[in-house]
Amino acid sequence: MNKLKKSLALIATLAIASTAFYACGDDSSTSTPADSSSSEASSEESSEESSEEASSEEASDESSEESAADIKFEETGDQLSILCWTPDDVTKMIENFEDKNPDYKGKCNYVNVGSKGQEAREQYSNYFAGGEDADLFVLEADWILEYINNDEYTAPLSDLGFTDADFSGCYPYTVSIGTDNKGVLKAASWQATPGAYVYRTDLAEEYLGAKTPEEMQTFVDSWDKFTETAATVLEKSGGKCAMADTLGGMWQVWQYNRANAWAKDDKLVIDDYCKEYAELAKNYWDKGYVTKESQWDDKGWYPIGQDGSTMGYFFCTWCLGEGSMLSNAEGGEGGATYGKYNITAGPSDWAWGGSWLAVSPNCDNGQLAHDFVKYFTVDEKSMEDYALFKGEFVNNPTVMKKIVDDKSNSNKLLGGQDQFSVLYESASKIDMDGKITAYDAQIKDAFNNAVTKYVKGEVASYDDMITEFKKNAATIEGLTVE
Amino acid sequence: MATTAQSRIKSVSYAKYGYIFILPFFIVYSIFSLWPLIQTFILAFHSNGARTDLDFVGLENFKTILATPAENDFKAMGIHETFWRYMKNTVIIWVGNFIPQIALSLLLAVWFTDLRVKMPGKGFFKVVMYMPNIITAASVAGLFLSLFGDSSYSVINMLRGCSDPAKNVEPLKIISSVWGARILVMFIQVWMWFGNTMIMLMSGIQGINESLFEAAEIDGANSRQTFWKITFPLLKTIMVYTLLTSMIGGLQMFDIPFMLHTGNVINENIATVAVFVYQMFHANFAKPSFGYSAAASVILFIITSILGALVFWVQRDKDAMEKAKKRRQAIKEAKRRAKGGGFTI
Repeated sequence: MNKLKKSLALIATLAIASTAFYACGDDSSTSTPADSSSSEASSEESSEESSEEASSEEASDESSEESAADIKFEETGDQLSILCWTPDDVTKMIENFEDKNPDYKGKCNYVNVGSKGQEAREQYSNYFAGGEDADLFVLEADWILEYINNDEYTAPLSDLGFTDADFSGCYPYTVSIGTDNKGVLKAASWQATPGAYVYRTDLAEEYLGAKTPEEMQTFVDSWDKFTETAATVLEKSGGKCAMADTLGGMWQVWQYNRANAWAKDDKLVIDDYCKEYAELAKNYWDKGYVTKESQWDDKGWYPIGQDGSTMGYFFCTWCLGEGSMLSNAEGGEGGATYGKYNITAGPSDWAWGGSWLAVSPNCDNGQLAHDFVKYFTVDEKSMEDYALFKGEFVNNPTVMKKIVDDKSNSNKLLGGQDQFSVLYESASKIDMDGKITAYDAQIKDAFNNAVTKYVKGEVASYDDMITEFKKNAATIEGLTVE
Repeated sequence: MATTAQSRIKSVSYAKYGYIFILPFFIVYSIFSLWPLIQTFILAFHSNGARTDLDFVGLENFKTILATPAENDFKAMGIHETFWRYMKNTVIIWVGNFIPQIALSLLLAVWFTDLRVKMPGKGFFKVVMYMPNIITAASVAGLFLSLFGDSSYSVINMLRGCSDPAKNVEPLKIISSVWGARILVMFIQVWMWFGNTMIMLMSGIQGINESLFEAAEIDGANSRQTFWKITFPLLKTIMVYTLLTSMIGGLQMFDIPFMLHTGNVINENIATVAVFVYQMFHANFAKPSFGYSAAASVILFIITSILGALVFWVQRDKDAMEKAKKRRQAIKEAKRRAKGGGFTI
């Protein structure tokens, strides 16, 4: 009995002790040279295949073969690890990519880091410090500068064998955002993110008599018109239907339309725009032109899309796919308003967020990473494929034009309407040059916080609101507020 | 000179095994607790910003946090006001959760230990009451957000009929109201911790000699008299312990106040000093304000120390101190008398 006890204790101790050695093994050493040579061979095969397929693409393929020699990363990893905070995009991308490149089947791996963009922003650096495999990772517009301006975290895309000319087909604004402060291209986006106004067709007809998106657009084509229409809708609905979904939704349209950057030479810029938005928000809030729900609060934000308390939402490209925000707002398949929405441009052009693919300096699957980035950001054929596969607004005007002209896209959630035909117009007008700063995420939070207090009457006047905003923004290290 | 046998006997000391066995703890402790602690104090006196270039700035961080800021110095105003607002929240929420919590726990502890109360299923209730403590704070915050959220579709607002636009009922905004949110946090804290406190107090009561209760019963004391004359005075030490741990925990309260909000912005009506510490170094990834965080932590540390000392001073055993004093005097007296006796050696 005693012996049994002793041996049990010994086993338990060993088991616990052995966990201490977990993860000490070097993953990269497990891949043999044969592995990497086979992956090289396979990539050659795949490029041959595609050149056979489309002769028009020969030129681009040649250039990629040339540049393949320039890939500065080792080929020691088994898996391409792509880091992001949400599986929505990356898993779909991997599915599509592996489907079309069977040689890479099972080689791409989505790694979840954080559950929100803000979280990922903090956790990437910890993840990298932990020395775990990281090849590509996704960055968000609000804080992309922190990463691409830091060579510790991001490598230039030229290290993957890309030249600036490869991205000449992209929307120019995505390229300029992906370029760091020394003019080096560090990140490429697979999407452009123009937004629009998505509205209930049944309510539009009932309250406004608008039968088509074109007719609806005449009611909402400027903020003045939008406000007028909001008053009409509120009156006709007996005070229960608001025109805008949430302050957060209105804010997304406005935050894009700011003429100046939020900070100039590390100094906070406050201009008339702030007043204009604050007053509009207060007016909407007081009169009930906007619901009092908050954006991203699942319990309130989605149900209002079905119960008739809002006419519509301000949504952008990535809100319109299957399983996305629009789908939730409709109650999913079989929901009360499933397919009853239409899309129209709305009061102004705008874009919301956007994601960029950046490459880690520790990337150990150069060829695969190169092919992956190329598939989604350079190669027009595969981009078109992905656009139709996911309903993504891909980062290439030529491709999007083709899809619109071919009428090859129809969105079930929008009752068969093609959202690209509406969004294509505003996408070409997106211009964020010089408008994003490293402080954006926090400044916008501080501003919104102040505006929310203002609309709720917690601060008495606009001037008090600005003081409140200044105090909040001033706590951001490195930003000067006067 | 010791013989070889003697020295051998001397060298057989088992103490070293003791030291070896406790060594791992001290190694881990000094790496993961002691060094960060020292580092906090160091950082409190250094500037903020990127991790590489931190200058020694003396008491500048403390000054920014504590002193009244100059006119138009928005940075100092922001930090100073935020800190004091959060400090106020911390104190309000702690007091508002400690008093009901200790009262409830004490009541339940007395009932559960009372020999005359024959309650069926005592063990079951103990487990049920301790249960909220096992749930992670994140889940609790999520649960209470869906119960008491601002949205028309939170449970409380649905019950009031807000989810039906035809009824046109304004939803209750508990989370975004000042006192609504504070009281909710107090309630959550009480709910989560009263089971824990109750078990602690019960162990304290069970440590009291049973014969005292029996004697009181025989002498005809009613339950109130038994409680105030026996249980309460003898429970003093465990009460002091509860007060201290709760105070330290209360000043460092973080999880629920941090998580009970929707959207990106932390609810500033319930945010505590610990949230301030977190916010300061966390909000700006590229340029973390470690200085302010560390300074706030040090301030918290000093406050905790002072309050802890105060509790001990209030609860000191006056009789024992009186006795010790008398003994010292007696010894002195005896010595003086001995000297006066002219005895010299």
